[in-house]
Amino acid sequence: MNTFQECCWWLAFIVISIIAQALVPGLDALVVGVLLLLQERDYKMLGWLLPIFIILQEGMGTRPFGGVLLWYLVVIASFKIGRWLFEVGNFVFIFLLSTCLGGAYFGLAWLLAPLQATPTFDMNAMRDISLVQAIYMPLAWRILSVLRPGDKSDVSE
Amino acid sequence: MTFRRLFLLAGTLFILLLGVYSWNQRTQVLDTITTNVGLEAAGGVLSGLRAVQDSVADIWSNYFALVDVRQENLALKERVRDLEARLMAQGESLAELRRLRQLLQMPTDQAWRPVGARVLSGRLGPNGVLDSISINRGYATGGRPGTPLVTNLGLVGRILRSSAHTATALLLTDPSSRIAVLAQESRSSGILTGQGPGRVLEVSFMERGTDVNPGEILITSGLDGKFPKGIPVARVLSVAPSNYSQFLAIQAEPLVDLRHLEEVLMLEPTGVSVPTLPLGPPPVFVGPPAPGRTSPSVAPDGSTGGPRLQPSR
Repeated sequence: MNTFQECCWWLAFIVISIIAQALVPGLDALVVGVLLLLQERDYKMLGWLLPIFIILQEGMGTRPFGGVLLWYLVVIASFKIGRWLFEVGNFVFIFLLSTCLGGAYFGLAWLLAPLQATPTFDMNAMRDISLVQAIYMPLAWRILSVLRPGDKSDVSE
Repeated sequence: MTFRRLFLLAGTLFILLLGVYSWNQRTQVLDTITTNVGLEAAGGVLSGLRAVQDSVADIWSNYFALVDVRQENLALKERVRDLEARLMAQGESLAELRRLRQLLQMPTDQAWRPVGARVLSGRLGPNGVLDSISINRGYATGGRPGTPLVTNLGLVGRILRSSAHTATALLLTDPSSRIAVLAQESRSSGILTGQGPGRVLEVSFMERGTDVNPGEILITSGLDGKFPKGIPVARVLSVAPSNYSQFLAIQAEPLVDLRHLEEVLMLEPTGVSVPTLPLGPPPVFVGPPAPGRTSPSVAPDGSTGGPRLQPSR
C-alpha cells in the first residue's frame, strides 16, 4: 500500500470511528487503530496518528485535557506487556487484551473522576460502557485486520 | 529492557503527564487547542453525515413515499376547509387579542436573540463523561460558552465548550448543572440540580413554608445571570420535607425530552440591557427632615403630610 492509499485508509477509519462514537456514547473507536499500528509495528505512522487521535478525543470530550493521554499510554503499555506473553496475531491475545483494557477503561474513569472534579461517578453507566468497549475492540480489530489491504497483521517479534 | 529502566520510564512518563495536566489546568492552552481542532474536525464529519442523512431522507420522502398520496391529499384538503372555517370563527377573537396586546404594550426581551442549531450527536468519545450534546454552531456562529439552549417546550442546557463551528452543550440533567429556578405559581426560588441522564432533577434550598405542589412548573429566575428569566425548565413531581435540612426535598422532571433532541434554539446575548425596574420617576422618599431643616417641606402635589427628602442623584 502506497502512502496515498495509506492516508485514505486512515482517513476513512477516522471518519467511520467518529460516526461509531456518535452512535455509541462513551465508546472509543479510534483505539483499535492504535492496536492495529502496534500489531504492525508501524511506529512512524503511529507517531503521526496518535497525536491526531488524542486531539480528536480530547476535543470531542467534556473533561479537561489529560484523560485520553493516560488512556492511550495504558493501551500501549498493556499491548507491550501482552506481547511478551502471547503471539500478537493470536485471537486469545486480542480477547485478553480487550478484556484488560475494558477494565482499565473503567479504572481510569474512576481514578480521574475526583481529580477532574466530576460531581458524581455513575458506576453502573461506566461499567456498561467499559463492557461495550471490551466487546467492541476484538470485533473491530478482527474486521479491520481483514479489511486492511496488504495485511500486515501477522508481523511477529 | 531491564525492570529498573522500565520503572524509571514509567515514573518519568507519569511525572511528565502530571506536569502537563497541572500546567493545562492553570493555562487551559491544551483544552483550547484540542477543542478548536478536535471538536471542529468531529463536527465537520458529523455535519457531513447529517447532510447525507437529510438528502437520503428527502429522496425517500419525495420519490418513494408517494404511495397513498392522493388519499392523503384529499384528507388534507378536507382538513384545510375545516381549519379555514374555524379560523374565520376565531378571527374576531384574534383581532381582539392583538388590540389588547398593543394596549398592554407587552415587553419583549431584546437582550436575547434566538438562533437555531442542529443537534449532531450525544456525548462523544471516552472523554465525554458529562451528559452533553454536540451542535452545529460554534463561537463564529453565535455559540459561545455559556449560551443558553432552549426548545419550544423549555430549557435544554447551556454551551460548555465551543470551536469555530461546533459546540458541546451541557444538559440540565448532568450532575454538574445548577440552575436558579422559581416556582411559577408560588414564586418560591431554589436551585435545580441534575442527577444524571434518565434520572429526576432535584430542587435544593426551597424553604419549607412555601406552597409548592406537584405538577407546578419551574421557570428560570435569572438570578444566576446565566439564563434569562422566565424560561420553563421542569415540572414538579413530588414535594416532601427534607430529612436532613430545613428545606423541602423536591423532585422534578425536565419539560424537554432530552434523549430525542433534533433542533435547539440558542439564546444569543444581544448586548441590549433590558431594565428590570418599571420606567418612570423614582418614588419620593418619605423620612425624617434633612439636617439643618426646621420647617416641614411641602410635597410637589401640595400636601403637607410630613417632611420629605428628594433622593440624591
